Amino acid sequence: MVDKRSLRSSKRTDDNNKNNDSSSSNNKPSSKPTRSSSRRTASGASKKTPVTENTEKTTEADKQPEPPVEDTQMVGVQEPKKDLSGDVEMGDDTIDKKEDGTTEEKKEDPAVTTYNEIKQNFTLLERAVALFDSRYTLRVLRSIASHRRKVTAEIISKVVQDYYPAGHEAADYLLQQIGQTQSTMDVDESSQDVLPEVDVYLHLLVQIFLLDQKQYEQGAEFSSQLVEKVHSLNRRTLDALASKVYFYYARFFELLPAPAITNIRAQLLASLRTATLRKDVDLQATLITLLLRNYIATSDITQADHLVNKTKFPESAANNLIARYNYYLGKIKAIQLDYSGAHEQLVSAIRKAPQTPAAAGFLQAANKLNIIVELLMGDIPDRATFREPRLSKALHAYFLLVKAVRVGELEAFHTLLEQHADTFKRDGTYTLVLRLRQNVIKTGIRMMSLTYSRISLRDICIRLGLESEESAEYIVAKAIRDGVIEATLDHEKGYMQSKEILDIYATQEPMEAFHSRISFCMSLHNDSVKAMRFPMNQHRLELKNAQEARERERELAKEIQEGEMDDDDGGDFDAL
Amino acid sequence: MSNLQSLHQSLVSSVSKKDYETASKQLSQLKIALLQHNALIPSADVSADILVGSREVLEIGAIVSIHLGDESAFLRYYAQLQPFYASQALNKSPSKNKNKIVGLYLLLLLTKNNIADFHTTIENIPDVEQDVFLGYPVTLERWLMEGSYDKVWLATKGSRVPSEEYAMFSEVLVGTIRHEIASCSEKAYASLPVSNAKQLLFLDSEGAVIEFAAERNWEVRDGRIYFPQEEADKASLSSQSIINYAIGYAQELENIV
Repeated sequence: MVDKRSLRSSKRTDDNNKNNDSSSSNNKPSSKPTRSSSRRTASGASKKTPVTENTEKTTEADKQPEPPVEDTQMVGVQEPKKDLSGDVEMGDDTIDKKEDGTTEEKKEDPAVTTYNEIKQNFTLLERAVALFDSRYTLRVLRSIASHRRKVTAEIISKVVQDYYPAGHEAADYLLQQIGQTQSTMDVDESSQDVLPEVDVYLHLLVQIFLLDQKQYEQGAEFSSQLVEKVHSLNRRTLDALASKVYFYYARFFELLPAPAITNIRAQLLASLRTATLRKDVDLQATLITLLLRNYIATSDITQADHLVNKTKFPESAANNLIARYNYYLGKIKAIQLDYSGAHEQLVSAIRKAPQTPAAAGFLQAANKLNIIVELLMGDIPDRATFREPRLSKALHAYFLLVKAVRVGELEAFHTLLEQHADTFKRDGTYTLVLRLRQNVIKTGIRMMSLTYSRISLRDICIRLGLESEESAEYIVAKAIRDGVIEATLDHEKGYMQSKEILDIYATQEPMEAFHSRISFCMSLHNDSVKAMRFPMNQHRLELKNAQEARERERELAKEIQEGEMDDDDGGDFDAL
Repeated sequence: MSNLQSLHQSLVSSVSKKDYETASKQLSQLKIALLQHNALIPSADVSADILVGSREVLEIGAIVSIHLGDESAFLRYYAQLQPFYASQALNKSPSKNKNKIVGLYLLLLLTKNNIADFHTTIENIPDVEQDVFLGYPVTLERWLMEGSYDKVWLATKGSRVPSEEYAMFSEVLVGTIRHEIASCSEKAYASLPVSNAKQLLFLDSEGAVIEFAAERNWEVRDGRIYFPQEEADKASLSSQSIINYAIGYAQELENIV
């Protein structure tokens, strides 16, 4: 393990020196010579520099308390980086490289950086396998987001050729996929075994690369083969990687024309079965969400509902997956008219969703649905939701909708529906919005019942824009039965008489409301306690310490009894 | 094959003669024949022509079962038709009767007050309102939900119904809305003259009103219906639940401490 790493770092030093020789004239000469040497020894120094790293990564790292030793190592991995200009530079790079093809040594810095980072990830993966700790794998996966923007076919081909022994069939296959040929470059580490984790990681990089290049057909085929490969491997350290593979697999098929999306269901279901048998929590959660997404995309709500009923979503799944699962559940329940259930799911989806800019799309979709569900329940959504900068633009049509429903004007509601029908259809909320008509009527009746103590049915009919007085009478009667208003009707004289408003604080309502909040806080507390993580085997150490302390105490007591206590023992006592 | 076609022919002829009893007997024979041709479920190795034929047979079966008033048979046919409608191979020759069958299914769900399934089914159909057969149950549902019972009543009258199969449900629907109106009236009115009640409940005579009132335990006095007043009992706070909550909180607090 340690040997490999030192081997690697020495190789990297070589690489860097080579690059340094050739490109020392470029704009970043000073940081390089120190970098390779300082990686192992003075990692503290380089720790300060990666402040400009992708924010997502640093926040993620902040969230998870790591043992300090690993932390410095991890941060040390990151190259000291320049700001966004790195991206622009890279564009020039690739053009340069395409011109002179084989001269790989003449690479500009960002490409090398990415290359090195990817190589560094191999080490992390190896460590993940050796220590059986999925955190290293997760770290690698997190870095994908930042690499994604920089990776080029050349970088992948170089990494691939470096890692696989010469003539390895997977290497040829991968290169073929990204349209590169095996170059004649010497391969240093040909003696090394191919680790399945690294193998899959490289495949994943190629998969994402194809997605970014919009080569959907090819990507779909590639993914299908990759999924088969992953499916056949049974390694727990592979779980996190595998779920990513499936995610992109489903994404490819979603982007292909219509029938493709239904064709992957069988594979997903089969994989779900296997994952459940293997107790592969990551993959299980990913697959369930993917399947739900798949079903909802084709509006097969019944099937989605069956899936939810027949499977158990793993509670220990990643937060993002839980949020996604909650959102889909909310959608299913909203369609099935279980609005309060849907509301619960959607609220927890919104709360659990990551607050990074990357998740804005998800938040918008969840909020849109939530607003409609709240309206359908007869509530008026919080105005603050519409003021949030990330949401305000996307939610504009919904804002108008809320206004129309709140006032209870049927006319305004209908014109709005016509104007924004396309928006609602695109968001997949149109059928739900159509159901709001009755709510508009109900709010209208409620407003009138609150305003007037007695109002004739004719006036109600005119104000609501209804067609006949009979309709108005039936509608009001229904509203009374459904508990929307407290009133009575007089048929012969044709008016509605409002009852006096009940004092809500005399009923059980406030207590129920408090109870639901208290139980929410309680479950939040309990979940937080459950979510705490402790280093493995730490308790044994503590037990041992306690044991030692007890023994020392006993000795101490003995010595005190014997009256021979000296200063050293006193120091020990303090340490307790 | 020829057997299948001749059976199919005779089925069509007996349906056109409205001889549904014979048709249902022929249907069971046909289904066995289809099973022998492996055409009861669409699969790639059966030719599309036969599948179109079997789809038609199943559709006729569904309509016949509506005429015979056999709901569970209709639901079975509907379930059997689903793979045919979803099949890619048959998309080239879409069924003319599909919307009618789905519309009937929606109406059936509506009469059973199964609104959740109703909406789930609608979710799958694009442009519901454009089609006569599909638009009918959808508008009915909307009126039922908002309470425009008079419109529902008018819609179930003969001329407004899109096809004779739909009329089969009218009776049930009127029954449903009548009970809806009755339960609304109980809450909304203190009392109601019998003549007005007749009008409200869409009943034919005052005698029918009195019968209906007896059914729902309404009191009829001096030509007026008096609805039973519900007793107000929600004001009392139940101590049981308060105690339960308090004990729950205490337990949680103890866990934390």
